[in-house]
Amino acid sequence: MTDSKYFTTTKKGEIFELKAELNSDKKEKKKEAVKKVIASMTVGKDVSALFPDVVNCMQTDNLELKKLVYLYLMNYAKSQPDMAIMAVNTFVKDCEDPNPLIRALAVRTMGCIRVDKITEYLCEPLRKCLKDEDPYVRKTAAVCVAKLHDINAQLVEDQGFLDTLKDLISDSNPMVVANAVAALSEIAESHPNSNLLDLNPQTINKLLTALNECTEWGQIFILDCLANYTPRDDRESQSICERVTPRLSHANSAVVLSAVKVLMKFMEMLPKDLDYYGTLLKKLAPPLVTLLSAEPELQYVALRNINLIVQRRPEILKHEMKVFFVKYNDPIYVKLEKLDIMIRLASQANIAQVLAELKEYATEVDVDFVRKAVRAIGRCAIKVEQSAERCVSTLLDLIQTKVNYVVQEAIVVIKDIFRKYPNKYESVIATLCENLDSLDEPEARAAMIWIVGEYAERIDNADELLESFLEGFHDESTQVQLQLLTAIVKLFLKKPTETQELVQQVLSLATQDSDNPDLRDRGYIYWRLLSTDPAAAKEVVLAEKPLISEETDLIEPTLLEELICHIGTLASVYHKPPSAFVEGSRGVQHKRLPGSAGSGENVESPDTGSAAVASEAPPAVIPSQDLLGDLLNLDLTPTTTTGPPPPSSGMQMGAMDLLGGGLDSLMGDESEPLGGDLGGSPAITAGFGAPPTAGPPSFTAPVSGGLDDLFDLGGGVGMPMGVYVPPKTLWLPAMKAKGLEISGTFGRRAGVVQMEMTLTNKAMSVMTDFAIQFNRNSFGLAPAGPLQVLTPVSPNQSIEAVLPLNTVGPVMKMEPLNNLQVAVKNNIDVFYFSCQYPISMLFVEDGKMERQVFLATWKDIPNENESKFQLNDCHLNADAASSKLQGSNIFTIAKRTVEGQDMLYQSMKLTNGIWVLAELRAQAGNPNYTVSLRCRAPEVSQCVFQSYEAVLKN
Amino acid sequence: MISQVFILSSKGDRLVYKDFRGEIGSDAVGLFYDKVTALTGDQPPVVMTHRNIHFVHVWQGGLYLVATTTAADSSPFAIIDFLNRLAALIKDYCGALSEKTVQMNFALIYELLDEMLDYGYVQSTSCDVLKNFIQTEAQSSRPFSLLDLANVGLFGADTQQSKVAPSSAATRPLQGGKSEIFVDVVERMSVVMSSNGMPMKAEVEGEVKVKCFLPGCSEIRIGLNEDLSVGSSHLAGYGGAVRVDECAFHPAVRLDDFEAHRILRLSPSQGEQSVMQYRLADRLPLAPPFRLFPTIEKDNAGRLLMFFKLRCNLPPKSSAVNVSASVRVPKGCISLSQELSSPDQSAELQPHNRAVIWKIPRFPGGTQLSASFKLDIPGLSSASTLEVGPVGMTFELPKVTASGLHVRFLRLAPTQHRGPTQRWVRYVTHSDSYAIRI
Repeated sequence: MTDSKYFTTTKKGEIFELKAELNSDKKEKKKEAVKKVIASMTVGKDVSALFPDVVNCMQTDNLELKKLVYLYLMNYAKSQPDMAIMAVNTFVKDCEDPNPLIRALAVRTMGCIRVDKITEYLCEPLRKCLKDEDPYVRKTAAVCVAKLHDINAQLVEDQGFLDTLKDLISDSNPMVVANAVAALSEIAESHPNSNLLDLNPQTINKLLTALNECTEWGQIFILDCLANYTPRDDRESQSICERVTPRLSHANSAVVLSAVKVLMKFMEMLPKDLDYYGTLLKKLAPPLVTLLSAEPELQYVALRNINLIVQRRPEILKHEMKVFFVKYNDPIYVKLEKLDIMIRLASQANIAQVLAELKEYATEVDVDFVRKAVRAIGRCAIKVEQSAERCVSTLLDLIQTKVNYVVQEAIVVIKDIFRKYPNKYESVIATLCENLDSLDEPEARAAMIWIVGEYAERIDNADELLESFLEGFHDESTQVQLQLLTAIVKLFLKKPTETQELVQQVLSLATQDSDNPDLRDRGYIYWRLLSTDPAAAKEVVLAEKPLISEETDLIEPTLLEELICHIGTLASVYHKPPSAFVEGSRGVQHKRLPGSAGSGENVESPDTGSAAVASEAPPAVIPSQDLLGDLLNLDLTPTTTTGPPPPSSGMQMGAMDLLGGGLDSLMGDESEPLGGDLGGSPAITAGFGAPPTAGPPSFTAPVSGGLDDLFDLGGGVGMPMGVYVPPKTLWLPAMKAKGLEISGTFGRRAGVVQMEMTLTNKAMSVMTDFAIQFNRNSFGLAPAGPLQVLTPVSPNQSIEAVLPLNTVGPVMKMEPLNNLQVAVKNNIDVFYFSCQYPISMLFVEDGKMERQVFLATWKDIPNENESKFQLNDCHLNADAASSKLQGSNIFTIAKRTVEGQDMLYQSMKLTNGIWVLAELRAQAGNPNYTVSLRCRAPEVSQCVFQSYEAVLKN
Repeated sequence: MISQVFILSSKGDRLVYKDFRGEIGSDAVGLFYDKVTALTGDQPPVVMTHRNIHFVHVWQGGLYLVATTTAADSSPFAIIDFLNRLAALIKDYCGALSEKTVQMNFALIYELLDEMLDYGYVQSTSCDVLKNFIQTEAQSSRPFSLLDLANVGLFGADTQQSKVAPSSAATRPLQGGKSEIFVDVVERMSVVMSSNGMPMKAEVEGEVKVKCFLPGCSEIRIGLNEDLSVGSSHLAGYGGAVRVDECAFHPAVRLDDFEAHRILRLSPSQGEQSVMQYRLADRLPLAPPFRLFPTIEKDNAGRLLMFFKLRCNLPPKSSAVNVSASVRVPKGCISLSQELSSPDQSAELQPHNRAVIWKIPRFPGGTQLSASFKLDIPGLSSASTLEVGPVGMTFELPKVTASGLHVRFLRLAPTQHRGPTQRWVRYVTHSDSYAIRI
């Protein structure tokens, strides 16, 4: 007879029969009956009516029967709390049984009976079992504490079980340690702030010792617990890593992944130049590769984790590209995940191999996969510039296959390639246009329309093409409609004569016949633009588009950091933080990676706290605000400039001016301690609050990094000594301005752009009421305050005026680029003049690029954007030139000497965020320099060169 | 932390259901079944969610083994591994994993679960540890019968030969069996070959498994090839040496003699365990087992002609079994006519997969087979010949290891045991993914 018969009885009166059998005298019969009961229970029948009869069987010395009865109890005690009390005596008795198996069984079961009334009876037996001589009982009791805590947390604390549990971390048996750690970790999770799991170097050491001895499952608990620890310094971090590394070769993949998590986290603290860091990187690759030999389900989980690891540290797997190649019998979800990782690992070194694979994939059967493969080719082109040409030709090959969905995907990615490499691959447009009719997906249609609009001047029949789309305008999806509207407006601006009718048609379709607000709004904007100021419309619609970035689907860095802390868990499979998918009361803590090497400083130091408080305090509560407000008004206005560095410089200004203007020379070196002292004082807060445009929001970002950081940044700010200020030139002759003569110059002092003017009255009468205004200009220069000419200027008197400027004004490209048109008004009339400013005054203080970034950027900027200039008759050596340029915020990043030729690599950043990279070659003894400039906006190169010339020759 | 574990039949009947933490009601079972049956092919089945319940499952022996959890920090790896171990343990204890054995032994399985998990924490999955606690006797489904040969699986091909153990040996329960010990070397190979027969990628993943039926077995010694080298750079170029790139060992394996003599020493617990796992990429010691010579053209009548010569590169004594080649064909194929070189082969067109499947039940080493297919495809263009895609092959190579790894000897410590112990060593290589590009 076998057990399967238990599942077959469904007759009536079954309960009655069972009852009789349970009360039988024969042990065997009893046992059979309990089994039947449990079988019924499993399939979901209600057998709770048998509770008393089953509990009666509990008093037995047959362990098998006892286990069955306990199984039943666990299931039904909750629904029969009063009856459950009947069992308590037996439990208590069993807890003192000489057989450790029975003691453990009793403790384990009692914990699972989730009835409040029972818990109080549980305490005494549990206390004994926690100190039992048998480790099997102790490890069971350790888990029982967690169970009890879940039912009645207060009771556990009152009874002091937590302390006993902590003691068990030092137990001699590793299984007990592991369970104690698991229980404590879980309890600690519900009290996020308690110091329950007090991780210090001593306990960590104990855990690491237990790690070597306990079972694989225990190792997982311990490793997960270790991952929550933050080592004090890089040396401790390294020593933990060394002891965890052997786990990487464990056969259990969960152990491996938990070890990877610990290593990834602690690696953050290791300095990158450490030998050990490199060793560790090498050691991480093989276990990750091995994970991929598991079943597809596990492979998928592994790939999701590897995807995270690759985003954080691509160097680990950069040589393992081949293992991510798709096998033809991989399930589709594995294929897609592998494809994603392949792109992330693609680099110049392996791109040929990757492209060959992708091309192969694009001919597969599975439509989804093929689409992804085609997209991947496009992403390769965007990521690895050297491969762009091959990618484009591969895509063209694929378009030739005429397979509908391949063509559509190819067109979508080619659009992106155009965005990334403008004016390079437009020769393929003709081929694309041939496939116009086969496009039936909105995304592909929209992409094609964009291409036609963008390159309307090169496509002879662009108007016909777009007109053909217009016929079914209202049946198109919004995406296509918007794109079509823009494309036709672009076309109109490029070929206004032939397309007037077309543009009117689309504008009326968009504004009058559509009920989509987005479309309508865009339609109206174009309409007004076109009707009021076609030139402005051109500016807006045909504006230069920013280049698209390399990788569009990277996980946002902070989320990535959090996910790295959750490697191996569900979060890493969903790629969502636990808070996004866990409901309910259990507190979820956001985890963060530890700070980087050597700092040894806690991220949440009290400094940050006070800084945050200081910056959040609204200006209104500061008593001295009114008084300071006016005084500071002039000097603080520069803080209205945008971007992170100006706030720091504004800060500098504030601090400086409060202490009087004479401190300028101290600024470079001593601003740090100075700022530190001032950090908490209300005065500086007032400084923050004073300029209304620079509201708190612009400050919250830098402040989160701590005031100290802010000042660190400021430490690099301004070295006013070295700044080159051209001599004043005559801007407005008295002849043209009814006796007002203006000469002036521009300078950058302490991070603030200034216009310095001398106003001379050559007329016969007193001049008053000066005001100044700028026309729109290339860099958005605008006066940051009114022109301060306080006293009337009497005849033949000269007065110096300094006007601080900011760069948040309206922008319009000027010819030449650095041209500035100014209007000055006084009591007599308004006068206009134009002047040119040295572009060097727009170089910001944080224009020093990281070396790597410099290298990458230099390579990234296409060759045609490079301009070369000759600088003649310059008699400085390279070092002198470098320091001189540094004064004007042209920073030397590296110097190389090749065959007696000095090469300086320099970077500078304009106020509008444009980076200019330069290479300066100087031959010893030759007064002629060669300057090569690379910039994404090559127009500025000429002006930048002029600045070089001006700075170096003066 | 695992909240519940349940085992469902393929029809969704509950066979075993145990709640460890009382967080989720038993309606999770129904929820799971609804979800898993609604899955489409391209959705990863690994982790499924419903509100804050996460389901992790494996599908083995026609059963769903499912674990649920509510904790975000649970490791899906650990849970899947745990379920696989559970399945292995059920096999070890009950002889096989099937709806029937689970039903017959549910009390035993509950007992196992009780010891394996406590409050959702995995305690132990080792057979040796668990057997100290388990009271219930396993019920074997039926005595060994010839019918078992029907489900031969892994080692089925050569059951007639006396040197190979009948496959039913592996499906007997542990308790009360003969004193036997099996060492299996199982390899899976994935190869991508370019159209000119050059392997573009070749990889072998292998495993040495020990299945032990001896209660309280003391130490066994497994000797591997003496010239085995581990690591990629080592001894490369000296030809002939058996090489693996990486290997990992079961924690119980003692490696004292591994460096010098390539001997693994261990005291196996009862049941099956994977003693060593290894991986080998690129430079395989032997040529890939199959090479294809395709000719593809269009005839005047607008049909697509495919002529294939397939050569088996194994040594003449070995042969491949259950060989199947799947050739991707252009879409729109309506009929296939075929000419095969021997009558035991077969071929069929599967229009929905766009594939022609060519089956060869037995393929001796050193021989060559050919097939010619004519496909009717309305509107065939010359570009369509490009759509004839890679050929994927599946096969089994009994008594062959692609890496060349062999067991030199299998010795048991002399002291123990009353009766003689039967020792078996078996080899097999499977195709994992074998693709030939055209």
